[in-house]
Amino acid sequence: MTKEKKLSITIDNKKMEVRPNMTILQAARENSVYIPSLCILEHLPSYGACRLCVVEVDGLRGFPTSCTTPVEEGMVIRTDTAEVRSLRQEVLKLLLSEHPASCLFCGEQSECKDYQGTIRKVGVTTGCRYCPNDNRCELQLITEKVGLTETSYPVYYRNFPIEKEDPFYDRDYNLCILCGRCVRVCNDVRLNGTLSFKQRGKLTTIGPAFDRTHLDAGCEFCGACVTVCPTGALSAKVSKWYGRPDSQVGTTCVYCPVGCKVILQIKNDETIDALPDYDSPVDQGLVCVKGRFAIPEYVHSAKRYISPQRLTPIGYEDISWDKALDEAKERLSGIKPEDCLVVVSPQLSNEDLFVAQRFTREVMNSEEMFSLVITDLGADLVPFLDLVMHASSYDAINTAQGILAIGFDSTYGFTPIGIQIKAAARKGANLVTIGSYESNLDMLAETAHQTEPSHWAGMIDPLGKAMSGNGKTNIVIVGPDVFLGPERREALGRVIALRDVYKWKVIVAHPYTNLLGMLATGAFPGIKPGEVLKNGDKGSAVTIKGAAVYPDLQKKRKVVYVIGEARLDMVPPCDHLIYQNGLPPESGRKPDLILPACMFTETSGTTINAEGKVLPIQKAYEPFMKSKPDWWIMSGIAEKLQKRTFKYNSVQAIQGDIRKQIKGFFSMKKRLEFVRVGMKEGGEGTRDAALRGKRSPASREETYRGTPLASVVSGMKAIEERRRHE
Amino acid sequence: MPETIEKILKKHGRTTDELIPILQDVQKEFGYIAPESVKRISRYLKVSENQIYGVSSFYAQFRFTEPGRHGIKVCLGTACHVRGGATLLEMLERGLGISCGQTTDDKRYDLERVACLGCCALSPVVQIDRDIYSRMTVNRLTELLKEYE
Amino acid sequence: MNKLTKHIISAKKKWEELLDNKEPIIYVGAASCGRAAGALDLLTEINAFLKEHNIEARVMQVGCIGPCYLEPLVDIKMPGQQRISYNNVNAKTLALILKSHLLEGKPHAKLALGHFGKEPLNGIQPFYELPMLKPQVRIVLRNCGLIDPEDIDQYLAVDGYQGFMNALKMKPEDVIGVVHQAGLRGRGGAGFPTFRKWTVCRNSPGEQKYLICNADEGDPGAFMNRSLIESDPHAVLEGMLIAGYAIGASKGIIYIRAEYPLAIDRLKSAIKQMREYGLLGKNILGSDFSFDIKIKEGAGAFVCGEETALIGSIEGKRGMPKSRPPFPAVSGLFKSPTIINNVETLGTLPNILRNGAEWYNKFGKEGNRGTKTFSLVGKVRRPGLIEVQLGTPLREIIFDIGGGVQKNFKAIQTGGPSGGCLSEEFLDLPVDYESLAAAGSIMGSGGLIIMDEDTCIVDVAKYFLDFTQKESCGKCVPCRVGTRHMVEILDRITHGEGNPEDLLALRTLGDTIKKGALCGLGQTAPNPVLTTLRYFRNEYLEHIKDNRCRAVVCKDLIEYRVIKEKCTGCQSCVRVCPTGAISGPRSEPHNLDKTKCIKCRSCYEICRHDAIAGDAIVIRSAEKRT
Repeated sequence: MTKEKKLSITIDNKKMEVRPNMTILQAARENSVYIPSLCILEHLPSYGACRLCVVEVDGLRGFPTSCTTPVEEGMVIRTDTAEVRSLRQEVLKLLLSEHPASCLFCGEQSECKDYQGTIRKVGVTTGCRYCPNDNRCELQLITEKVGLTETSYPVYYRNFPIEKEDPFYDRDYNLCILCGRCVRVCNDVRLNGTLSFKQRGKLTTIGPAFDRTHLDAGCEFCGACVTVCPTGALSAKVSKWYGRPDSQVGTTCVYCPVGCKVILQIKNDETIDALPDYDSPVDQGLVCVKGRFAIPEYVHSAKRYISPQRLTPIGYEDISWDKALDEAKERLSGIKPEDCLVVVSPQLSNEDLFVAQRFTREVMNSEEMFSLVITDLGADLVPFLDLVMHASSYDAINTAQGILAIGFDSTYGFTPIGIQIKAAARKGANLVTIGSYESNLDMLAETAHQTEPSHWAGMIDPLGKAMSGNGKTNIVIVGPDVFLGPERREALGRVIALRDVYKWKVIVAHPYTNLLGMLATGAFPGIKPGEVLKNGDKGSAVTIKGAAVYPDLQKKRKVVYVIGEARLDMVPPCDHLIYQNGLPPESGRKPDLILPACMFTETSGTTINAEGKVLPIQKAYEPFMKSKPDWWIMSGIAEKLQKRTFKYNSVQAIQGDIRKQIKGFFSMKKRLEFVRVGMKEGGEGTRDAALRGKRSPASREETYRGTPLASVVSGMKAIEERRRHE
Repeated sequence: MPETIEKILKKHGRTTDELIPILQDVQKEFGYIAPESVKRISRYLKVSENQIYGVSSFYAQFRFTEPGRHGIKVCLGTACHVRGGATLLEMLERGLGISCGQTTDDKRYDLERVACLGCCALSPVVQIDRDIYSRMTVNRLTELLKEYE
Repeated sequence: MNKLTKHIISAKKKWEELLDNKEPIIYVGAASCGRAAGALDLLTEINAFLKEHNIEARVMQVGCIGPCYLEPLVDIKMPGQQRISYNNVNAKTLALILKSHLLEGKPHAKLALGHFGKEPLNGIQPFYELPMLKPQVRIVLRNCGLIDPEDIDQYLAVDGYQGFMNALKMKPEDVIGVVHQAGLRGRGGAGFPTFRKWTVCRNSPGEQKYLICNADEGDPGAFMNRSLIESDPHAVLEGMLIAGYAIGASKGIIYIRAEYPLAIDRLKSAIKQMREYGLLGKNILGSDFSFDIKIKEGAGAFVCGEETALIGSIEGKRGMPKSRPPFPAVSGLFKSPTIINNVETLGTLPNILRNGAEWYNKFGKEGNRGTKTFSLVGKVRRPGLIEVQLGTPLREIIFDIGGGVQKNFKAIQTGGPSGGCLSEEFLDLPVDYESLAAAGSIMGSGGLIIMDEDTCIVDVAKYFLDFTQKESCGKCVPCRVGTRHMVEILDRITHGEGNPEDLLALRTLGDTIKKGALCGLGQTAPNPVLTTLRYFRNEYLEHIKDNRCRAVVCKDLIEYRVIKEKCTGCQSCVRVCPTGAISGPRSEPHNLDKTKCIKCRSCYEICRHDAIAGDAIVIRSAEKRT
């Protein structure tokens, strides 16, 4: 970038140099000059409605708003004259006359505080604490800064009914100041268009068309509007009455492989909310409903195990960890390698996966690892892995001239990808969609094909051919309906052909969060740690044995050790079932031993996203009750078994070992690159028949550690029902 | 209805500046903007239904319910105001039992106020359907309404 | 230019034939206001009459010549005679006129208004010598009512498109120079020098530039633009060609209120004719200049008269104004340089380019050159559309042209809801941009509303504020919330519930809105209140302190009474009273029960017009409440 010529301006008698193309407000903020403002927010287009950021500028008539006026060479700006101050106060008075303001000006304020701990018997808007945003409200802050202590105007209480019928967040438009942040974020940032100003003048309201519910109006429940709302008008159902958080921790959401950053809001060692980070390079703050709203309810589910448990003839009994590990040792000691199957979830962290493969290989001396990815994909695993392991980075969407989205809908997931697609389509990229129902991308598509999945494979080739050519860059997005559908073999093959023949880029939107980590750390049958990573001049392909990948699911084992998976009906029969997870299993099967594991908010680690980037998972607080990290439990069992092969006391220690064993794994800036994977010996689905049909193929259910989010998070249930309805 | 909307859409380009002209044509055809129309326009212009509703509800011209058989518009321009336009409106509201922007239960009349019909020299003015009546009085208006079944 | 020259020659010939007509011509003023007054019924009757008497005559619909109070107007021109105008024609008088003038060849002197000839005519005065017309200078309105607005040939015959052809011979910069010398200022309200805006736009980079004609005449009480377009659409369209050529635009858009269907139709047919004559499209008249014009109908939002809101509306968005800079001349429609000119500004351009800047400088005064059209309405005797030189004193407009006020003059509102209300002491104020601004008002687009003693000033202020408040887009806080508080306070005062502090609150609110609002609509919204507070403070105080509305307008402060001495007991009022408040047997004075009376005015009206007594029901200030 060429160096921009700086402009010299004067703010409040201070000369300063600023970059061109800035507004006065931005220049002032960069130079620590405070100007109050409400409607402007970084990352949103300026709007100029609240009129609080008014300033005086020599040569400009009246009082221009600093958020809309660009700086010019030699500009002389005054931000704090008596007239500006009084105008701001008067404007704020007007603004507050549309907004119940007893939290600011009530005479009983101090006494009121004393009673705030008591149980409220009244509705939230008629009681004294009518506002969920108390103490975090930008209006309160601004009022203090502007120095307003009383207001003389009557309050227009608009008497809108509070809207609670939608999942995840409530809306009390009586508190709305019409700053338009939510409308702008919904339309300009999320490109979703659910929220709109309606009517005009004093009758202006915000919401979807025809008084529809948000659910009916295509809302993604991304919560961006709630995040940007400066008042209590929009509030998350789960967290609205918690007040200010004690602290916050940035981490990576593990509900899917996109790898969005979320900033957990912590109060009393609990996640009360999760906010997006607009500066996150991976997702630009474009998290979906799961990352934004489904974390607190899940990780603090009432169903969580509080202690290790053992099944006895009269039911489960709580036992100590020491006893629990002993119990595990007893079951596992002295059995033949093939009598134990270790089931691992691709939603574990790299560190947990690394320990899991060491446990299997070094403690159990076997290759008997298994993951439900294998049952889901059956005989089509290899082409699927081929696509997943050679996926493009997300920014390729931005520059693509042609985009083909197959079986892909980003309403409630993969939103950073979906929004990039929308942005590209608006810029003029040729977007073509194929799906069995109307997806959220169809509206912007040049052509939207709605047909049965059985037709998809046949369409890929001709469409691809038509879109290719003339040095065009194209990208294909493969949604779950493609590779979980019955016609997937043909379709996956065609996509591979697009990639290999026409040089298309590919992104696979799959639900297996850390599948790449599973492959990279070798927590996969037949693949050694680091083996599939491209590393200098090492071989560029790995061949795995079909026999190892597809275990005999009919054969009864002595022990099955399930780590972070809850769909036990897919797991082979056994004498003893060790179940290591946070929430109870989904099927009626009763584990013999329950080992309570941590959620991703309670332990650190890393995960690899669909682009191949290694992203950090941060521990936010101590584990819930007696829960322990997965690696700690495995390490503990190994120790009890007196296999002195490994013993870990910390995540750092595991990472040290990974670093040693897998070169370049933690060079965080780079994307990991993968070699080709092939399969021999019975790869052609020897046991495909047994594997098929185990999972309803078109299931688009969102799960974490095997538990559907909808069964734990109330709002997700509403979304799931709506999806089925469609 | 769907074919008629398609016909209207075909007459316009697919850029957002065609939104208001399309809405005007739809309203001219059907008398109001129905949710189905909004849906079709949304797909045609690639603008969300919510945004279309936001735009259309901003403008006084568009309505979202079926209109009555006769539209009564009372001019409340300045000239008409100083010559008693508001009294005419009040009388209509009372007489028809509806307020501005509503339709009588028997779907006979719609009542609206307009800012100015531009016939200020002939004030006060009332428009019924396409006819403009000048120098209106309460009593003349009562008689006049009877002519519109 | 051959093609157009041929058209001009044949047009002039046709025009000559028209002036030297062989068969009678009947002109009917059929602009919107004429139609509202019944012009279309007259047309039917004229045609029936012609058929019945088997007369070959030409019937022409023309636009509005100005004196709306005389509508409907019918003019007759017999072969070899001059055109004679008849006013306030109804079915009865029409029959008399047609019989006398058309059948017997004798102008009906008693019913005639004036004649358009140069020679005196016994018993009929020249039309332009009428007191309403004599003081006027008609530049923009020069063709209104005289030519057929649907016939481009008639416009060409009166030197139409000559100004544009002159412009085409100059460099665009020189066209801007002429407009600069002419001293033309934007007629939309603020009076910004037209050439300056144009220069900015011309110099702004951008391949595509737009010219928008702002015909969103939203001011209640203003209809100059509608009349001009309905009566002489080509004048505006020619102006657009000139402006488009000067700024380098290739696309013109007319943003016009949907409430003006006739004006829209006239524009559509005029544009069609322009295209046929090669005045639109690629390489107009063989030059490098290509231009086309599209019509966009507004959808009913006053705020869309504001430039940035208007642009938003054309783009298919909510008409919410945006902060400036960037100015539309730099980044406007679809982010391209855009000039928005008012109808009248554009209608003036052909005259300037045809006759030169020097000629234009003869009108008006230094800094305020040229003429301005106004719609003169309210309680004036001769309401209508007028055009006067800038600098003409208000008194001349109201009394000489308007014929004075029906009762005693009280106030004049200039500039519509954004303007101010001026009292009697300002009658000698010259009408120019600066003088009006100094008095706290604005020129605005040209609505002049005259109020007499029957108009309550607080009610009028409330009316304007209520209007802007309803039309506020709701975006910025001062306008959305501030005007609401002001309306509420004014409402209290008109209900007799005000208190003296309210006046201070109104001032403070007005001040905040003026300084703080985003757009011109908001910034000028308090003007009617601020000026009336300044010039009619006593009337506010009367409402507050004495609960008295001297104009007997504010309903809560007045009552209806039956004057027993005058009432003949005709029962007309009893029949129309919707609440049964009036009672009494026939032939005996009636009783009016104040507790039931809703002050709907029905009895008052019926007593004035239909009853036997005539004025037995009066409206008076109520007795002071305690």
